[in-house]
Amino acid sequence: MPNLARVLVTSVTAALIAAAPGAAAAQQPVSHDPPAPVSQYPNLHISGFGDVNFSITDRPDGPRNFSLGQFALHMASALSPRVTFFGEISFTARTDAGTGSPSAAGFNAEIERMAVRFDQSDRLKVSFGRYHTPVNYWNTAFHHGQWLQTTIARPEMIRFGGTFLPVHFVGGLVEGAVPASSLNLNYKVGLGNGRATVLGRAGDAGDANDAVAWLASAFIRPDAYYGLEVGASLYGDTITHTSGREISEQIVAAHVAWQREDPEIIAEIASVRHRDDLTGLVTWSRAYYVQAAYRLQQAELWKPYLRFEHIGVADDDLAFATVPELDQLTLGVRYDLTLFAAVKGEYRTWTRGEGSVRNHGGYFQIAFTF
Amino acid sequence: MAAMRAHRLCTLVATWIAAALLVAATAPAGQAQQPADIAVIVHADVAIDNLTLAELRRVWLGDREFWPSGERITLFIRAPVAAERDAVVSTLCRMTEAQFRQHWIAKVFRNESPSGPKIVYSTESAHDQVARVPGAIAFVPASAVGTGVKVVRVDGRRPGETGYPIR
Repeated sequence: MPNLARVLVTSVTAALIAAAPGAAAAQQPVSHDPPAPVSQYPNLHISGFGDVNFSITDRPDGPRNFSLGQFALHMASALSPRVTFFGEISFTARTDAGTGSPSAAGFNAEIERMAVRFDQSDRLKVSFGRYHTPVNYWNTAFHHGQWLQTTIARPEMIRFGGTFLPVHFVGGLVEGAVPASSLNLNYKVGLGNGRATVLGRAGDAGDANDAVAWLASAFIRPDAYYGLEVGASLYGDTITHTSGREISEQIVAAHVAWQREDPEIIAEIASVRHRDDLTGLVTWSRAYYVQAAYRLQQAELWKPYLRFEHIGVADDDLAFATVPELDQLTLGVRYDLTLFAAVKGEYRTWTRGEGSVRNHGGYFQIAFTF
Repeated sequence: MAAMRAHRLCTLVATWIAAALLVAATAPAGQAQQPADIAVIVHADVAIDNLTLAELRRVWLGDREFWPSGERITLFIRAPVAAERDAVVSTLCRMTEAQFRQHWIAKVFRNESPSGPKIVYSTESAHDQVARVPGAIAFVPASAVGTGVKVVRVDGRRPGETGYPIR
């Protein structure tokens, strides 16, 4: 019996060792081969951005003292060597996001971007989903990551929830890049749903009318002027106003960005043409900004900056009847606490059109990525 | 007695002079030592023999993601402090370490690239990964290049040739 028990124990032990893959592997001689190549699909890369703000202003409306900015989560996943998915979700503190009457404060969750893309080559990439409309440099360069941008806030012409330019776009996009004699020409062409009846929203659940929105943008990054980007964009759509009237919209925009930090210069201009299909009235509204920053050579954690921005709305522009005009100067400084967190402080002074009261405000932000 | 003292003094002075000469002879040689050339290696199947510095910069900044054959480029980079990483970040991309990291965080966040360069912790690992992963590229010391990879000329020059730009 003892022999039988010993045989059984030995057999069971051997079977268990053989069944355990890790243990089996441990029995093999030590391999000097390098680890397996990284080509497991799907793979997932998650990153996030957040910011906390503090403001002091003589303006009667808007947030006071501390406020939470956006908490943004970004997911990028390669499904194969040529197919990728990405998504961006944000949680935004709002005074009216909660339930009840009056609405309680809370957080508003939103799918900011979500797209699946097929990369044929550098020259041709095709995707479908929800994007930040590539009709503006800032909108596609910084997205919801406040840490990425030098300043605390976006220019108002492209602020989230704003109306002047369509921030989001739902549809399909064809894009690519060609060397073009060292100019490195990049292009994007898209078709999709235009703005919703509430102009600050995209047509997430379907278009507001039968007209398809279209866009085309191109920019160059010449090798000879490393850090420089110059581009232009066109956008067309038909807006269905809340009154039920249809308004044709065309947007022409251009930008110059010197992306090095010694200095950093970004300038953009956008003109929006509206044609009331009922009356035939044509209006043009314009907005622009110029921002300059400089990473100090002797104290490289510090980056002072300034920005001037302007929004001018045509008097008879029915679609932009609620868009406020703006002339604003921003002076600030960014201090990089670590590679992944920064503190910003800035002073803003602004007016809202001729004869309006001049406002002043002090703003602070800690922004980070993780 | 005086002669002995003089002899000791002479010996001491001679020793000091010899030491000083030795230091003088070795120090300039040490200062004149050039940093070693850094080779650009790619997977053996990549149909590229030469890249300009501008093309190489576009590859490492993620502006070019595919080789002409259609293979996706996979970047392998040494962890910070390694000379090969410094060659990529400072010499090639003309950035600080902070700028390089921010560039790649933004690149992925903009969905312009599914992922950033993959980190490797030794020259051997960089070499082995390039040998195994189709479309891979890395920087390694020219003296460490072995078999199974291809060395790419930069602006028409190979490591060790006069005017080779990456070191």
